[in-house]
Amino acid sequence: MALSKKEISILIEVVFSILFALIFMPFFYENQGDNLISINNLIGKITPIIIFAVLYFSMAYAVLELIFKAKTTVDERDDMINSKSYKLGYLLYELSLFVFIGMLLTNSILQNTGGIIFLIISLLLFVSIVKSIYQLYLYRTF
Amino acid sequence: MVLKNNLKEFRHKNNLTQDDFGKSVGVSRQTIISIERYRYKPSLELAIKMAKELNVKIEKLFYFD
Repeated sequence: MALSKKEISILIEVVFSILFALIFMPFFYENQGDNLISINNLIGKITPIIIFAVLYFSMAYAVLELIFKAKTTVDERDDMINSKSYKLGYLLYELSLFVFIGMLLTNSILQNTGGIIFLIISLLLFVSIVKSIYQLYLYRTF
Repeated sequence: MVLKNNLKEFRHKNNLTQDDFGKSVGVSRQTIISIERYRYKPSLELAIKMAKELNVKIEKLFYFD
């Protein structure tokens, strides 16, 4: 199964989301009951996230550019695939807002700063992964 | 009715690879593959560009089946 440059760049995003969930989500999970999650604690966690993201994407795209030297053409098929996948992402964002409110109202452990942060990041990660996988599916089937 | 095309046939007649033909009409090789397999329906603008590039009438290149 040969993947194109565009498909690999989508896979890079999916892998990032999965790595983010595995490496950084345990911190937010552990602190979901924390009502006053300290700003120092948050900054201490956000800094490695930013460093990790910059390192990961610069390395991944550098390797990608080395493997695929030819420039990619963005055409109308890409626009169509992007609009379909972003539309799904947008619908999921809307739906996740209701899930967010519902979970906040029904789950007392989430009714604090830590819980809200955990919930928002979880939903964003979920939407991002689903959108990217759908985008990949469209690239393989269209 | 499915929109089909004779793109592969005319492309071969003009001795063009998918990559070369894609570059000449401003799309990727994957898009040409997708059109030749009837998966993706090109816009009218792209269809006209393709017909012009292959020196063929658009109704000969694209047809309903």
